[in-house]
Amino acid sequence: MKTRRFGQLASLALVGSIALAGCGSDNNSGTGATAGSGSSSAASSASADCFDGTLNAEGSSAQKNAFEEAAASYSEACSGATVNYNPTGSGAGIKQFIAGQVDFAGSDSALKTEEKDGVVETDAAAQTCGSPAWNIPMVTGPIALAYNVPGVDSLTLTPDVAAQIFDGKITKWNDAKIAAINSGVTLPATDIKVFFRSDESGTTENFMKYLSGAAGDAWSYDPAKVWPASGEGKEKSAGVAEGVKSTEGGITYVEWSYAKDNDLGVAKVDNGGGAVELTGESVGKALEAAANDGEGNDLRLKLDYATKEAGAYPILLVTYEIVCSKYKDAATATKVKGFLTHFADPEVQKGLEEIGYAPLPSSIEEKVQTAIAAIS
Amino acid sequence: MSTAQLDTTTPTTPPGTGSSPTRGLGERSGGRAAKDLLAKVVMWLAFAIAVVPLVWILGSTLVKGGHMLLEAQWWTNSQAGITSRREGGGAVHAIQGTLIQAVVTAVMSVPVGVLTAVYLVEYGRGRLARVVSFMVDILTGIPSIVAALFVYALWVTTFGFQRVAFAVTLALTLLMIPTVVRSTEEMLKLVPNELREASYALGVPKWKTIMKVVVPTAFSGIVTGILLGLARVMGETAPLIILGPYTKVIATDLFGGLMATLPTMINQDRTEALQPALDRVWGASLTLILLVFLLNLLGRFVGRFSKVKS
Repeated sequence: MKTRRFGQLASLALVGSIALAGCGSDNNSGTGATAGSGSSSAASSASADCFDGTLNAEGSSAQKNAFEEAAASYSEACSGATVNYNPTGSGAGIKQFIAGQVDFAGSDSALKTEEKDGVVETDAAAQTCGSPAWNIPMVTGPIALAYNVPGVDSLTLTPDVAAQIFDGKITKWNDAKIAAINSGVTLPATDIKVFFRSDESGTTENFMKYLSGAAGDAWSYDPAKVWPASGEGKEKSAGVAEGVKSTEGGITYVEWSYAKDNDLGVAKVDNGGGAVELTGESVGKALEAAANDGEGNDLRLKLDYATKEAGAYPILLVTYEIVCSKYKDAATATKVKGFLTHFADPEVQKGLEEIGYAPLPSSIEEKVQTAIAAIS
Repeated sequence: MSTAQLDTTTPTTPPGTGSSPTRGLGERSGGRAAKDLLAKVVMWLAFAIAVVPLVWILGSTLVKGGHMLLEAQWWTNSQAGITSRREGGGAVHAIQGTLIQAVVTAVMSVPVGVLTAVYLVEYGRGRLARVVSFMVDILTGIPSIVAALFVYALWVTTFGFQRVAFAVTLALTLLMIPTVVRSTEEMLKLVPNELREASYALGVPKWKTIMKVVVPTAFSGIVTGILLGLARVMGETAPLIILGPYTKVIATDLFGGLMATLPTMINQDRTEALQPALDRVWGASLTLILLVFLLNLLGRFVGRFSKVKS
């Protein structure tokens, strides 16, 4: 009696799970609406070297959406391929890569060559790979200075003025310092309300890197993930974007996509070489102007935040894919090459612009493709 | 006010009770009524405070995630090829992963747990039993993150294996065994000794008494305990995040590749600001709540179905 009842329960559970397993489907093609419509159409024309199986990556959350987009279009082109990405953060991604848990890592910064906590990341990664690890720049995320001042369609900021605004030293939009670099623009007497990220954020760190790199003495804080100055804190990019949108006189630093999605004004930046609008092209110029610190196919871009090059938008974040130059397992190498080639493909990169990333400029793209092709 | 007439006949009216005294306990005085009211209000308030978060959570998950569960796709498709900006896809990969891991966890922890409990109740005497009982107590107190890190240290750091679903079930087993031991123990203790004695009197050996009399008598209670333990383990998150990275496709291999689960599906898009991703997070949360709720219901049902007979 009793055992029969248990048998019934067990068989119920078994049948249930088998039924679930039976009708589940991985085929999602043609379902749902695409918000950024360009990316999927770009995917179809992009070429792809396909593989069968699974590729696992982990790391920076800044490139999550770009990665997802590329992974989705790759699986669309190659039905047998699955690319997984876990956005656990750059540090976690590098640790898992060194531990041999993932095939490659995504990171906001290149592997560190100095010792930190008893580990030199470059050496540790090379030891896991059995060959040098390469940093391959893949996704560029520009940071927008987004503002909401009614009647002001065009605004230019210099690093010096931006630093003073974000430090709370300039408090009115019609301040003489702002007016001086915006001749011809009628600025209202509204208070400036600075919004910052209340959570720890790589965006905060990169924006501060720009300020301390370009504004000199006007910005006295060291770059960190936590905002040191005054203003109103909001959680996440969505929070600060929403804050600016709903507050007249608001300004913040936020990923480009959020400024776009919320229809916020985006300030031009004048590092000394003229006002530069934020576009995929102007970000690409800044990337091209960056020096390459790495050797050979190891590409470590050193951004010059103070660049005076005309038409180069200097506030940006470059995220890398960290790979082994020679994988112990040839099959893994094929998979990594197949997917990264697709990721760096100009068509795919161009699709990323719609979701707030900037495509790699062609000169960098060439170097990236050369490096990927050299993976073995 | 019929008692008012009696009033005159009662010689000793307790002082301070006013004009209406009474049989035995006396009508409530103003002060006592106030205290009673106060206690009532405080009790209801405490109840409300306890219930508000629960209703709030259930309500907001229902409102924000309910519509996802109404789409047929949710129960038939995985998230393969779906990005955060795109709507569509389902949660079948995560539901399936959660169920598979729950079943495997149960298969591993139930025999160990039940047999330990049988030992403790039926055989355990002296030092060994005390040590086992003490260890079970300690295991009960282990936070899930510690169990997860222990398995990570063993599985990944020491043995150098990959993070796979089986490692997750190992950590979950660690968490489930003590709850199974404790609940089974309680149930076995409830079995009246007369039953055992009657069995012994008929010359039935001890092992057979346990197999045929003790365990069957406590069976439904044991099953209830197991189901409740399983419900707890299914909502566990720390081992999944550490040992079982998320994937968007359906996976059934316990020893190779990644396997999605509902908690990791929630965690994946937790910080996302895009609406389609947020909808999915709420949908997955509601699905998980429903699954755990169903298991709980089943546990209660089996428990009510037949209690330990005495």
